[in-house]
Amino acid sequence: MSKAAVSERLGFFTDTTVCIGCKACEVACKQWNDLPSDGGELRAGGSYDNTKELSASTWRHVRFVELLEPGGGNMPSLPAGGSPLPAATPELPSGHDDVDLLEWAESAGGDRWLFMSDVCKHCTNAGCLDACPTGAIFRSEFDTVVVQADVCNGCGYCIPSCPFGVIDRDHEDGRAAKCTLCYDRLQDGLEPACAKSCPTDSIQFGPYDQLVERAKGRVTALHQRGIDTAYLYGAGDTQGEELAGGLGAFFLLTERPERYGLPAQADSPIKEGVRQATLAAMAAGLVAAAGVAAAFAVPGRPSRANQLASRLRGWPR
Amino acid sequence: MSQKRLKLVPALGTRGGPARWRREREGASVEAHEQGFKDGAWSFLYGEDTEYATTARDDEVAKASRRARTGAPPDVVQGPVMKPAVWTWEVPLYFWTGGIAAGSGFVALACDLAGDSASAATARKVSLAALAPSPVLLIADLGRPARFLNMLRIFKPRSPMSMGVWCLTLFGNLIAAAVGADLLGKHREARAIGAVAAVVGGYLGSYTGVLLGSTAVPVWSRSRLFLGPIFVSTATGTGAAACRLALVATGVPEGHPTRLALGRVETGAIAAELALSTINERQLGRLSAALHEGGAGTTFSAAKWSVRAGLALRLLRRRGGPVTHHVASCLYLGGGLAFRYAWVAAGRHSAKDDRAVADTARGTGEGKAEQ
Repeated sequence: MSKAAVSERLGFFTDTTVCIGCKACEVACKQWNDLPSDGGELRAGGSYDNTKELSASTWRHVRFVELLEPGGGNMPSLPAGGSPLPAATPELPSGHDDVDLLEWAESAGGDRWLFMSDVCKHCTNAGCLDACPTGAIFRSEFDTVVVQADVCNGCGYCIPSCPFGVIDRDHEDGRAAKCTLCYDRLQDGLEPACAKSCPTDSIQFGPYDQLVERAKGRVTALHQRGIDTAYLYGAGDTQGEELAGGLGAFFLLTERPERYGLPAQADSPIKEGVRQATLAAMAAGLVAAAGVAAAFAVPGRPSRANQLASRLRGWPR
Repeated sequence: MSQKRLKLVPALGTRGGPARWRREREGASVEAHEQGFKDGAWSFLYGEDTEYATTARDDEVAKASRRARTGAPPDVVQGPVMKPAVWTWEVPLYFWTGGIAAGSGFVALACDLAGDSASAATARKVSLAALAPSPVLLIADLGRPARFLNMLRIFKPRSPMSMGVWCLTLFGNLIAAAVGADLLGKHREARAIGAVAAVVGGYLGSYTGVLLGSTAVPVWSRSRLFLGPIFVSTATGTGAAACRLALVATGVPEGHPTRLALGRVETGAIAAELALSTINERQLGRLSAALHEGGAGTTFSAAKWSVRAGLALRLLRRRGGPVTHHVASCLYLGGGLAFRYAWVAAGRHSAKDDRAVADTARGTGEGKAEQ
């Protein structure tokens, strides 16, 4: 593939503060990657989100985060036909030229709606990559994590190994699938389909270091404007505090991660603990083998007795 | 741009058809795009004169992230956070058969060491018989069973599944060779190969616990130091029980030292299994709910009561006679199978518990990681 102009780390910066929840990225992703629809049912647990979650056939997913206080996460009950809006909604102030819509919206109560275009994080320490026994999952020249569909045999070990719940096995196709960061497009020097289609540039694509710098600047700008809760999920952390070693696709969020269904801390599970677990297990295996041998040796001189018993019954020695 | 006529020939494949991996024409490219990912830079956000971003203050950015990702979790977790494993009944059944194979390998080695080579040969046959369905079960669980050989494409020490597949392959060949040597009457060779197989079996019986423990599923990952030992105990107990029943069936008389020793092995291994499970449940704290609730909980308590009944029967051995012992061995085997199912089902339950997943990740769950 001589077309690859560069082979530096490439990634996504998804700025949720400008996402309008149009789901154009989902559609673009499905079209480019030839993925089927998901049936259009609402997500369980009370949400207007009709594409549920990331799956083997949904590689970009605009998560709808309903913040309805108190006890957020419940579907707002729509007023019955013809009835007025809830009394709590204040009148839009009239007669002023410069209405502060933000202030007005905030005075209307705490209910808000957040959108976040979720995607595979292309982790530096990728759990799925560590787990894959066939080598179907590999790290590309763009430092992204890609599943080779012609190698994957659908063992399913990558699925519980992903702390973000991204990769999944398609029950009809039988193979694991997830976002490839449009590996085929990257090889042609094109930006991924979702970033291309995003009308508000909530999804930004580019060389990783450049994106991180831009994202950090964005957080600082938001803080200066008084949005103190803005932070980066997956980039800009000090060493030792990174999520899975730093996320190739990172996010600007304004609520705590669990609100978006993201873990507050994460790393490749295999990197975290496979050594200790293996040592404990192998030690136990040795103890068990020794224990079995010991149980045979307990009553004095077993070998004599065994020999005698075998001889009595005429068994071959 | 408009002056230039675009040649709208697809770079990949033919128009309207599915693209192939290779280009239709060598060196073909998509028209009207800018090389070097400059397409993305068309956005006004990339301009110098926007108010989108300002000069970054690194410490402030890191602090904001730390603030959001540490401390108390929010009241609501709007999951799903992670996905449960898609494995079906074949996998826990394999854990059971593979465990019996590994445990029988231990028994064969011990019989050889104790000088009872006839029983050792029987134990090796039990091991091979238990191992034979294992690859079939694993292949049946694959999404693409025809591609099972891809498992042997690479050797990957990092991945417990890759190591397990290699271990299973090695163990299968060794135990088959040992049984073959037995049948040919080459007892020395059978003993030597059987001894190597028993060592390999030490990993075969335990790696399944490592495999589950090295995932992001809370109840598995927080049991990671215990799962291997628990699984080895189950393997030893069920392997010894299977060998004991096989020896009885082949006419080894009551009171034979090997039968007695196997009875002790069974009881010891199952008692160790129960003790380790209890300690593990304690250290799991709130996460152990996955082992008590729903279908997994029912199976888990059935497994416990089954092996407890077996232990009780063993303690009544004076009055019971040999049939009681056979019932106890069957209870151990059944209990072992139920334990395997329960652990896999508990993982599914735990991964779906968004609050448990989120709290474990944040480190605010009661059962914190044993680092």
